[in-house]
Amino acid sequence: MNAPLSKTIVIWVMVGMVLIVLSAPTLVVLGASFTSGNIIAFPPDGFSLQWYAKIAMAADLRDAFMRSLAVATICTLIAIPIGTLAGIALSKYAIRFEKTFQVYLLLPFTIPLIGSGIGLMLLFGQMGMLGQIWPIGVACCVINLPFMIWAVSASAGGLDPDLELAAANCGAPPISTFLHVTLPAVMPGVISGSLLMFILALNEFLVSLLLTDARTVTLPVQIYNSIRSIITPDLAAISVVFIACAALVIALLDRLVGLDIFLKSK
Amino acid sequence: MVFGNSHAVKNASFELDEGRFLTILGPSGSGKTTLLRMIAGFQRPSAGEIVINGTPVSAAPPHKRSIGMVFQKLALFPHMTAAENVAFPLKMRRFDAQTIPERVQRYLDLVQLGPYADRRIHQLSGGQQQRVAIARALVFEPDLLLLDEPLAALDRKLREEMQLEFRRIQRELGVTTINVTHDQREALVVSDEVIVMDKGEIQQMAPPSATYRNPANAFVAGFIGVTNFISGTVVSSAGSEVAFRSGGETIAGTWRAKDAVPAAGSAVTGALRAEQIRLAASEAGLGNCQTTRTGTVRDAIFEGERTVYDIALASSSTRLRVFDHDPGAHKQFAIGETVAMGWNAQDVLTYPN
Repeated sequence: MNAPLSKTIVIWVMVGMVLIVLSAPTLVVLGASFTSGNIIAFPPDGFSLQWYAKIAMAADLRDAFMRSLAVATICTLIAIPIGTLAGIALSKYAIRFEKTFQVYLLLPFTIPLIGSGIGLMLLFGQMGMLGQIWPIGVACCVINLPFMIWAVSASAGGLDPDLELAAANCGAPPISTFLHVTLPAVMPGVISGSLLMFILALNEFLVSLLLTDARTVTLPVQIYNSIRSIITPDLAAISVVFIACAALVIALLDRLVGLDIFLKSK
Repeated sequence: MVFGNSHAVKNASFELDEGRFLTILGPSGSGKTTLLRMIAGFQRPSAGEIVINGTPVSAAPPHKRSIGMVFQKLALFPHMTAAENVAFPLKMRRFDAQTIPERVQRYLDLVQLGPYADRRIHQLSGGQQQRVAIARALVFEPDLLLLDEPLAALDRKLREEMQLEFRRIQRELGVTTINVTHDQREALVVSDEVIVMDKGEIQQMAPPSATYRNPANAFVAGFIGVTNFISGTVVSSAGSEVAFRSGGETIAGTWRAKDAVPAAGSAVTGALRAEQIRLAASEAGLGNCQTTRTGTVRDAIFEGERTVYDIALASSSTRLRVFDHDPGAHKQFAIGETVAMGWNAQDVLTYPN
């Protein structure tokens, strides 16, 4: 392409500005985490890794981080079978009440998180399940499931409908057809959906805030609690670790299925 | 094979002998693909029975039938290699695992894909993918091979190459084959038998040459080959010879329909193939023709091996398409030129209207 120079300059300036705006919070936190001072500040006051050393020793932060990982893992493990089957069913088969099902499955997404959070809190409270990790995982799964379903149904929607007939023609009974043909074909959607579910559950704050107590506090809630008392640079450091985890998952996604599929899966 | 059904396909009964290559030919919406899908088991016939090797199979699900199929869009498994695609039916049909690799290789060799066994599907060209699909459909030695217009998407040269390839492989293995297509040339080239379908019904089943030379009705005559239709009303008949009037002319034809020659006054249609009309500068150059007419050239299309003329009869408004298969050997006619045409009554295939 031979765009005029002025056009190229305008486009690149705009791209640069957008990139700066989007990455500014991350850069501020990243910079602040390396400060050698005692208060959180940007630009940082000197350079040191002392706050990383501190969080490595801080048992409460480390425990909260491990709990967040546990919540994300539980959420993803529940979402994979449910989201995969629902996604395939919604995109491939003519189901009675399909529209109703679609709205029902998207409902958690349209309700304000604070609403579903309070609902889940009441529900789990009644059942006496608060104070454990797994209800938080279930809750994260419930509110984020539409993302998983979208990812899978986008993959399944692009599938040649003759593929399953071809498997049957090869002598595969329905279950073998599903395992050997349908499932591998939607695997990119399943992978991108699961990683997305993992990140969303790892980062989930509002619902976790309502469902956690001192024993089950997750990392975002722990950071929030700390900010309310005293803002020290260790919070910036743990945020950076946190962001790095999410970035790692994204990198994994790119390696496994390619980001283009992930971005296309609505 | 016996077949019978209604709606999208009705009264579609036919039998096919073992080892024969049958092509079901018809325009889109004629029910040919429905017929094939019922044989494969993807659709249940609402009435009638499908019998393969003496066993009724209508109630059997597709995976319990011994039928190989090449799909229109091939439907190869994208996450498997060529060899894995070919091995899939063997695994699903519980062939002895020890013999599978050898058998897969044998069939890949048969379709000349031996060196490409480990390629993924998207790494193969269109023609190579066709060959994988053929190998996958044949590797378990099915009782019946179904071809659902697999060549429709290929360019002409590759399509003609693959038609001959299908024929070669089918002869080599002797597998009973049913092919579905809307390409009349393909039907004539590859088949032992041709069924022409229209509006869900079988119009004719015959070997290719008989389908071409003795079409059972006007639809078949028009669907295969380039045919001029002249409709009129019967004036007189003697035996199978019919004379009918069309646009002020009397045309001599031969009755080809099964039912009796109709009485004078009945509406009929004469079908005259473009290659059965002789063309000359004057009547003297035509030789022995029972019917001669003069006309004016309205269009002349040079197609390489032949020239196609569009000629308006001088005596009526009728337009005729005429092939000249030897355009190099003699003079070509120009647009606007007056020409003489001649044909024989036996080539005017006459049917009820």
